[in-house]
Amino acid sequence: MSFYPILKAPGCQGWATLCNFSPNNWEARNSTEKFVSLTWAEEGEWRTKSLGMLACDALRTVSFEEISSMIPEGVLPLLSLSATKLPTHSNSLPQIEAPLTSVPGWRATLGLSTAKASVSYQGEIDPFPSQGTMLTFCPFIQFGEEIENYLIFLNMEKSPVARTAQVEIYDSKKTVLRGQFAVKNNDATIIALDGLGFSTTDLPLIICREMSAIPLYFSKTRDVSFLSLEHSHPPACYVIHGPRWNAQKLLKKIWFSRVTQ
Amino acid sequence: MRTLVEKLRRKVFWTFGQPLTRRPEQVGDPVSDLFVWRNSEDWKTFFELIDIAGLFDGDESVSGRSATILFFDNNGEQFLEQRFDLLSNERQTIDLTEFVTESESSSGTFCIFHTTPQVVSDLGSFIAERGYVSYKYKEAPLRSYVHGNFDAISLSRNKELRLLCSSSFFPREYRLQHELSGSALYEVVIVNPSSRDQIVTCQVLCICNGASMGVQEVRLRPRASHVFFVQVETVQPVRVVINSHLIMARPLVFRIHQQKMVAFYG
Repeated sequence: MSFYPILKAPGCQGWATLCNFSPNNWEARNSTEKFVSLTWAEEGEWRTKSLGMLACDALRTVSFEEISSMIPEGVLPLLSLSATKLPTHSNSLPQIEAPLTSVPGWRATLGLSTAKASVSYQGEIDPFPSQGTMLTFCPFIQFGEEIENYLIFLNMEKSPVARTAQVEIYDSKKTVLRGQFAVKNNDATIIALDGLGFSTTDLPLIICREMSAIPLYFSKTRDVSFLSLEHSHPPACYVIHGPRWNAQKLLKKIWFSRVTQ
Repeated sequence: MRTLVEKLRRKVFWTFGQPLTRRPEQVGDPVSDLFVWRNSEDWKTFFELIDIAGLFDGDESVSGRSATILFFDNNGEQFLEQRFDLLSNERQTIDLTEFVTESESSSGTFCIFHTTPQVVSDLGSFIAERGYVSYKYKEAPLRSYVHGNFDAISLSRNKELRLLCSSSFFPREYRLQHELSGSALYEVVIVNPSSRDQIVTCQVLCICNGASMGVQEVRLRPRASHVFFVQVETVQPVRVVINSHLIMARPLVFRIHQQKMVAFYG
């Protein structure tokens, strides 16, 4: 089973609601209570604390406020549901023993809230390979005097050893570099998109040659009364059936080469 | 042994002859999700149109390509076909309002077909539009985005539409792993991407004790959509189970609270 990050974004508090019931009636039988664990990377190892048990068919919301005193500042809190207790210290991301589903995957509600608004999506995160790369196109920037837009670069790897990589953001038509930012593994790195000069018809291209991630886009009004959150697809999603990963490789080859020229 | 029996049971009863989606008939047939549009005094729908085929071009030539959007009303009847010229490596935010006003429905579905790049056909794969829809509620300054996630419909060379979702032998539950909390109005939208009529029920369960708080039922024709309204009070959070013969009846959910709306796939 996957992990469920508690997201962070400017002016917001993150939270996640875990569900101890299967998302369908045919892939996995589920009749046991499960351990709720909080895991984070610290000083080159994964550390885990138990947050108790979750009864079968129950839901539990864990907010950042609830767990902030249990973790060092700045780390990405990862929640999980497991049939067995996770080790308190480990050199590799703990394996989660729990029923698996794929139609759909076993998800949680991952949300961001302010006193005036709340937004969420159904999601999860599985470890990315450390040799991975990322390429995605972002048509999510919203425009208006009171609107701010951010990229949340969400990464989790098996290794707890901290490393950084560079994210490059281009105008995909002119292949002009609009910004370059450092991102961290096992974290949700926040990048402001408003100062990069994109217009309503520009299609930002976001690449990272040394790290994979889920690219989330978060928009808010300055007074945090309105929030918006969604992620873009990896390029493999434009192609279905057959060796679609070859199509993704091809797209990465084309675009990595085009912006390097 | 138990695991083996479980795998066998799943194979025989739940997956044999019941793929999540089928392949289109011929290589080169473009595929699209069946996206939901909404249109009323309170709702506007937008689509982020990108030249997907152009992304596979090795150079920056002007697109010259177009995409075709087909619009269906809430009963699945097509009422409009509209062609859009694509802009190479640019984003076109299409306001669907001017197109969907031709329908008497206030909601329905639409799909978008692109030309298939030769390189994708050569792989034996298919180009799929699973892009980004945004919804604006009332005068909100921000739109709420959702992404497509399903290979619902294909267009053959002789312009025939083919729905790609299978039907299940046995009824299936899609249990939304989300707490519906109040006070808020939830609008749960279900689409039928199969070629058979589907009877779909939306059951609301009390989270505290699992008791049923009510069931709504609808019969959906192929390509049709329906909005289930679920009012949730502060004191009683609930969850929703969708029951149908669809392999995966993932709903699109709108939560409306204090004149603000957020959308997400369940």
